[in-house]
Amino acid sequence: MVKVKYLERPKLTYKERIFFLDFIKGMKITIKNFFRKTITTAYPYEKLTPPKRFRGTHAHRVRDGKEPPSFNVLLKFMEIEEGESRCVACYMCQQACPMPTLFRIEAEQLPNGKKRVTKFDMNLLNCLYCGLCVDACPVDCIIMTDQYEGASYDRKGCVIHLDDMAERGRDFDNRRYNEPDRIWIDDKNREKLWGQIEWT
Amino acid sequence: MKELIITSIAIGVKSLVFIIGMFLLAAYLTWIERKFAGHVQQRPGPLHVGWHGLLQPIADALKVLTKEDIVPQGVDRFLFYLASLLAFVPAIMILAVVPFGEPINIFGYEIKPYITDLNVGLILALAFGSISIYGVIFAGWASNSKYPMIGGLRKAAVLIGYEVALGFAMVGPIMQAGTFSLRGIVEAQQGLWFIIPNILGFIVILFAILAETGRTPFDVQEAEAELVSGYNTEYSAMKFGLFPLAEWYIATFVLSAIAVILFFGGWNGPHIFGALSPFIWFFLKLAMMFMFFLWVHWTLPRYRVDQITELAWKVMLPLSLVNILVVAIWIMIFG
Repeated sequence: MVKVKYLERPKLTYKERIFFLDFIKGMKITIKNFFRKTITTAYPYEKLTPPKRFRGTHAHRVRDGKEPPSFNVLLKFMEIEEGESRCVACYMCQQACPMPTLFRIEAEQLPNGKKRVTKFDMNLLNCLYCGLCVDACPVDCIIMTDQYEGASYDRKGCVIHLDDMAERGRDFDNRRYNEPDRIWIDDKNREKLWGQIEWT
Repeated sequence: MKELIITSIAIGVKSLVFIIGMFLLAAYLTWIERKFAGHVQQRPGPLHVGWHGLLQPIADALKVLTKEDIVPQGVDRFLFYLASLLAFVPAIMILAVVPFGEPINIFGYEIKPYITDLNVGLILALAFGSISIYGVIFAGWASNSKYPMIGGLRKAAVLIGYEVALGFAMVGPIMQAGTFSLRGIVEAQQGLWFIIPNILGFIVILFAILAETGRTPFDVQEAEAELVSGYNTEYSAMKFGLFPLAEWYIATFVLSAIAVILFFGGWNGPHIFGALSPFIWFFLKLAMMFMFFLWVHWTLPRYRVDQITELAWKVMLPLSLVNILVVAIWIMIFG
């Protein structure tokens, strides 16, 4: 049996009733806001950079010498030049994806016995940007960037491909690879409002 | 005969000027309201069409005028069309009796900044104010839809209460001035403004204007959260545009003008701006009054319908009667 606690609505005093003190309180707040500076951004003219962990359009990291050890193990079997997408076509991202059919991954075997990724398409119209593919990737290849303007005039424009994902990954790493991984940027304003964080 | 023709032409021209001026003013009052609402919520409001969005009203007017005008099936067509006019015309008709200043002489011609100076001006204004309610009720009835119907009925319920309180609250200044003419009332306030003994009446009139124009604490007739858009749900294009224009801007503006005339001495004020000082004083007071309504609108949440009518009958009506008593005693003491 759920216990229900009944609460009385606080009664207004006669002073509050006669002089509409709550009205005045509210109007004080709005007039204070009226003279404050606006806090909006004029979007198409000024754009905010999201934090590094933002889950935007997908990209591929390229082979640039910063790979995890697992990649170096797999590299023996792969035909990947320096500066190309790291993808090893392991289909882990597709396995992890809640909507697996948005991936179209294909690879071929070259005459020298090595494997080469020929196709890596993602239909972002079906993507829900959960980031599970990023977690699944064994070679730290697929990532999500800070680009959020994925709208397009046709459906074709919402499908991303191997080459432009590599390009986007190169661009993202150039800009933000060395940035510390954080969600919030602690600033003086937040500190003033809510104090400092204390760790035990 | 000749005099009659000249007078009628003069009044016609003057009315045209007033109506066109009011239209333009109402268009820019929308801009003021949107700017105010924006800054109250710490956003800038219209910004990109013209300098600080100054051309926004023109863009809006063009948009509203060129939209497809849909008349839903099953509406009472005659009343449906009539309602948008009935909401709009009486609101602007009140302007006929609102004086904006004393007659001034320009190049030997006496120009009166009002259309007529009737000896029953205030009663006429009240009457037109009451007629504009028919627009809302007809709109609700003719739309053949439940939300407009509820909206129209709510508005009727609210207004029956507040019209009475409004009428009684206006009695105080009328008693002091001894006339219904709005110009006469202003002239009677050369010394002391009528706000001094009539403070209760002024409070009642503030609430009554908020209720009459459907601004926020009393906007039950459009209550977006409950009634989609209230009585104008089924309207589209310019017919839709006329309702807020009439209610929120023209009616608020004109009723603010009447409140300023009744309580704040109209255009009385020190002659520090030269020949134009009556106009400047009047519009300054009017602007402050209008901004006050905007301020209330963008601050407060909505009352429940029963609370509004309760407030009207149990608080505002007795208050206005008390105001009459206070003014009567004041007149007996100070003459």
